[in-house]
Amino acid sequence: MKTATLNKSDLGKCIDLLVQADLRVIAPRLQPRLDEDGPDAIDVLTFTEVDSGEGHQVGEGLLPLNGVKEFLFAKHEPLFAYEKRGKKIEIIPVHHEYPQTVIIGVRPCDAASIASLESVFSDANAGFEDPFFTERRSRTTFITYSCTAPDASCFCTSVNLSPDSAKGSDLHLTEIGDGRLHVEVISKAGEAVAKQLQDLLEGEGDQAAREKAGAEVSEKLTRIRDSAPIMDWLMDTANFDDEMWQRLGEKCIGCGACTFACPTCHCFDIVDENKGSKGYRVKFWDSCQFDHFTLHASGHNPRDWQYKRYRNRFNCKFKIYPEKFETPGCVGCGRCIRACPVNLDITEYMAEVAHKAANPSAMKADQDSE
Amino acid sequence: MSNIYQPDLMTITKIIQEAPGIKTFHLKFQDENVASNFSFQTGQFGEYSAFGAGESTFCIASSPTRPDHIECCFREVGKVTTALANLTEGDTIGFRGPYGNTFPLDDWRGKNLIFIGGGIALPPLRSVIWNCLDLREQDGRFGHISIVYGARSVQDLVYKREIEEWNQMENVTMVKTVDPGGETDDWDGHIGFVPHVLENDFKPDPENTVAIVCGPPIMIKFTFEALERLGFKQEQMVTTLENRMKCGLGKCGRCNIGSTYVCIDGPVFTATELAALPQEF
Repeated sequence: MKTATLNKSDLGKCIDLLVQADLRVIAPRLQPRLDEDGPDAIDVLTFTEVDSGEGHQVGEGLLPLNGVKEFLFAKHEPLFAYEKRGKKIEIIPVHHEYPQTVIIGVRPCDAASIASLESVFSDANAGFEDPFFTERRSRTTFITYSCTAPDASCFCTSVNLSPDSAKGSDLHLTEIGDGRLHVEVISKAGEAVAKQLQDLLEGEGDQAAREKAGAEVSEKLTRIRDSAPIMDWLMDTANFDDEMWQRLGEKCIGCGACTFACPTCHCFDIVDENKGSKGYRVKFWDSCQFDHFTLHASGHNPRDWQYKRYRNRFNCKFKIYPEKFETPGCVGCGRCIRACPVNLDITEYMAEVAHKAANPSAMKADQDSE
Repeated sequence: MSNIYQPDLMTITKIIQEAPGIKTFHLKFQDENVASNFSFQTGQFGEYSAFGAGESTFCIASSPTRPDHIECCFREVGKVTTALANLTEGDTIGFRGPYGNTFPLDDWRGKNLIFIGGGIALPPLRSVIWNCLDLREQDGRFGHISIVYGARSVQDLVYKREIEEWNQMENVTMVKTVDPGGETDDWDGHIGFVPHVLENDFKPDPENTVAIVCGPPIMIKFTFEALERLGFKQEQMVTTLENRMKCGLGKCGRCNIGSTYVCIDGPVFTATELAALPQEF
């Protein structure tokens, strides 16, 4: 593995070099949300396409609101166009641009989620390849940046990750003090990007300082859960009807915020957007938390209560992803905790499960006495 | 770049009004290459689109032994099915498929078969019924074939002409029923719910027999229970599920029962397989 060092103050220059190399560059920036010019405008850390290094927030703040998911799995995208001509239909392919892209400043949790999305959308899943995802994925390089200041919602160390993990990264940056960054080339794509930045890279990295920095940040995480017993507990179908699901899930209002914020949530809908005789068939983000998501035409709904919909979400993260797609379903970014309007907390479920798994007979006695 | 979401175009060559709000379409591919490369097995399904309204999931209701065209049968309930129902012969629809697994016909060799369906659930069974009847005609590979079918009322029965055709066949037992109150003056079938008629009137012998059940989840549940009381074992009971789907490709996240995706791992399941899943379907 090749390493180097980089001045943190040169990150803006890095972005400039990448832009000059005709790459599309996505970086965190402070973007106004809500009413852009009005009194309610607030600046929010957001991944956005940039044309220079000016105003970049790489390595600043914690997690951009939007994550990197939308740059691979579009929030809304036409799959094809169609036009009706009498009794005939013409299908017109849509031309999507797939520019060579670098996303810089990606946090380790977001980077780890890419393999999960890929396991759903690539042909490794049942032999069906979503070409829109894979075309983008194959042209996107991720420059990751170890976390320095996790917040109270972060729990990556509880799901086998760490604030300095290089999983899913192409080129990995870690602050090692004195305004210096330790640079690690992780993949071929990362090597190509490092070549573009070679004038700014110096000598060799400092592996010891990097590891020390990572360990120090890991110590800062306060939300620690034991996720090891969760999958086995969920595999026992008897626990599908555990009292916990209804008790903890009762307050969920089904808004779906957790699923839209989540870097691994992959559910989508397909609809026709039509005007006159022409239209597009469109794929866009959907949420398993919505009440009509699984509603049958007959009126029957397998997930007819909100707690069942949240049970599905938890199962998806800790059982379906690892069992079916063999990738992690939860990367511990904490976005779902921060986004939830009613403080539903996925780590509360994790703690309950760990407790129940550790005390099976006590739990059973509790339920029997109810 | 091949687009898994792009349908092939089919012409509606014939429309049959099966019952109030229920139609059958006969469909042929417009592209000859697509037509000659297309094949499917009984039990599989497709995504059918009315352009401008979207896609709906239905089984392929015809038998692969009759490859001249494919058929689907649907009830008008939502936006897409209403748009489909408003189409006329000669119109174009989109089709993606075939998707999903198939009925295990090889496991059924030498066995008696009982098909049990309710209401709009006859179309998936109708594909496998004709498939088995045609194969039995060719080489006698199946034993006795029985069909137990019921609907809310006489007018709600679909494939009425084929029910009569099966009724006339010597080596087929046709048991038809309507819910109490759904009968007409000249109704010559049973009156009662399908699981009840099955258990109390028809009383099939489980010996060397497979029961294939299709219907709404509540009917599947009661029918499996009735079959168990008649002595059927779980591995002798097969069903096909109709969970809501969008992609049919294992990606959109809608049809799963636990880690089992109905679109990829199903829609055909044995009762043994269903019993091992979280009870959420």
